[in-house]
Amino acid sequence: MAQGEAVALLGANGAGKTTVLRILATLLLPTRGSARLAGHDAVREAAAVRHELGYHAGSDRGFYPRLTGRENLQFFGRLNHLAKGYLDARIRSLGEQFKLGEALDRQVRSLSSGTIQRLSLLRSLLHQPKVLLLDEPTRSLDAIAAAEFRRFLKKEVISAQGTSLLFASHTLPEIEFLADRVAILQQGAIIAFDSPKALKRRYSVATLEEVFLRLTGHDMQPVEETHPA
Amino acid sequence: MRQTLRDLFLFFGRDLRIASTYRGPFILEAIEALFAAAMFYYVARFVDSPGLREALPHGNTYFAYSLVGFLFFDYLNAALDTFERSLQEARDAGTLEPLLVTQVSLPVVLTGSALYPFVATTLRIAVYVAWGALLFGFPLRSANWLSVAVVLMATLLAFSGLGIFSASYLLLFKRGNPAKWFVVGVSSIVGGMLFPVSILPPWLQFVARLNPVTYALDAMRAALLDGAGLFAIAKPLVVLLFFAAILLPGSAATFAWALRRTKMTGTLTHS
Repeated sequence: MAQGEAVALLGANGAGKTTVLRILATLLLPTRGSARLAGHDAVREAAAVRHELGYHAGSDRGFYPRLTGRENLQFFGRLNHLAKGYLDARIRSLGEQFKLGEALDRQVRSLSSGTIQRLSLLRSLLHQPKVLLLDEPTRSLDAIAAAEFRRFLKKEVISAQGTSLLFASHTLPEIEFLADRVAILQQGAIIAFDSPKALKRRYSVATLEEVFLRLTGHDMQPVEETHPA
Repeated sequence: MRQTLRDLFLFFGRDLRIASTYRGPFILEAIEALFAAAMFYYVARFVDSPGLREALPHGNTYFAYSLVGFLFFDYLNAALDTFERSLQEARDAGTLEPLLVTQVSLPVVLTGSALYPFVATTLRIAVYVAWGALLFGFPLRSANWLSVAVVLMATLLAFSGLGIFSASYLLLFKRGNPAKWFVVGVSSIVGGMLFPVSILPPWLQFVARLNPVTYALDAMRAALLDGAGLFAIAKPLVVLLFFAAILLPGSAATFAWALRRTKMTGTLTHS
């Protein structure tokens, strides 16, 4: 991946998308081969890798429910060795961008699933990582929040800060909107890796969905439109 | 080193903040401590006899003897339980993964998470002792507090190794605490918690001599009830430090292996 590039991992359940992300996040060890992130080996230089990455597992868990959003973010930010003043300013500015407002000062147990997920995304950006690893980042967000989040990622994180993005997603419009290139995975192997436009051209189809279904051997017949009498 | 200490303190601050969101427990625990101290006092009065006094170390009452045994086991429980419990809680709450992608290592996460429970246990014990001293004549005046602190530290070091073994077991097998089962279960009989090991049959006395709890408890009673100085409790201290010297590196190596294995199998964050 190049710096500032956004790459999507697309594959059926069990294809290995989350495993790739977790190996790069140093949460898993590869059984063979190697993985490098921002020039560092994910096994031998795990601490250096963690310094460069932001990771969001796409879940609304992972916070201390009786602490406020801000207290949680301060705790995790300090564990990334961010200075207190910088951290507070960063929480304030990202909180505004994520429209978290007063939710930051409420106990996490009282927040909605979507708000907690935004909090989790905010946490992954606190230390301005070079690479952002996201596993189904908009899974719990409503349509509006998801669209806003994608725009924020593209404009503020990838374009403005040059952060590289590797994300797994089942949402094809999300992939087409965010990704410069798509890696299609099947049973742990990459079976295609190119830009969405190039993939569609190569397989002479109109949508990324058709590319995916064809490559994974699930070519489907078009559905005939039926009209109620 | 300074950064590690700062990291450890962050965990203590986190747990203190979480604890402060619960209003009632401290008062309830203080009342519970009063009931427990009263229970030991009246049991001691009920079983008091010339034979019992003869079996106890010189100058001790059964109330003081049994209360120290009970409180020491509370501490032992904390040393054996805390690492495993903090790992389990982080895994169940889903906070383990976010913690592991920060700049702190899992051993720092577990050690940091153990600080508050140790401090809370110390405070709870202090409340028990305070009730005992205020209302039931627990002898505090003769205590040698330096010796008490040293025995506590040596006990923590010796038994934290077993706690780390338990955390390794939890990483691999997801449930269970065999070290706690073994140490607390066996030691409640051959550790001298509520009765002196001298009343046991000879073969159990032999087992008691192999048990570090016996030494730790002897040293604690000597320091707290008889005012023994460091020189007087040197032998049990050396035994405890010997156990620590074997258990801590052994448990750290086992933990590193278990961590690597669960990262290979992908079960690190599984409950």
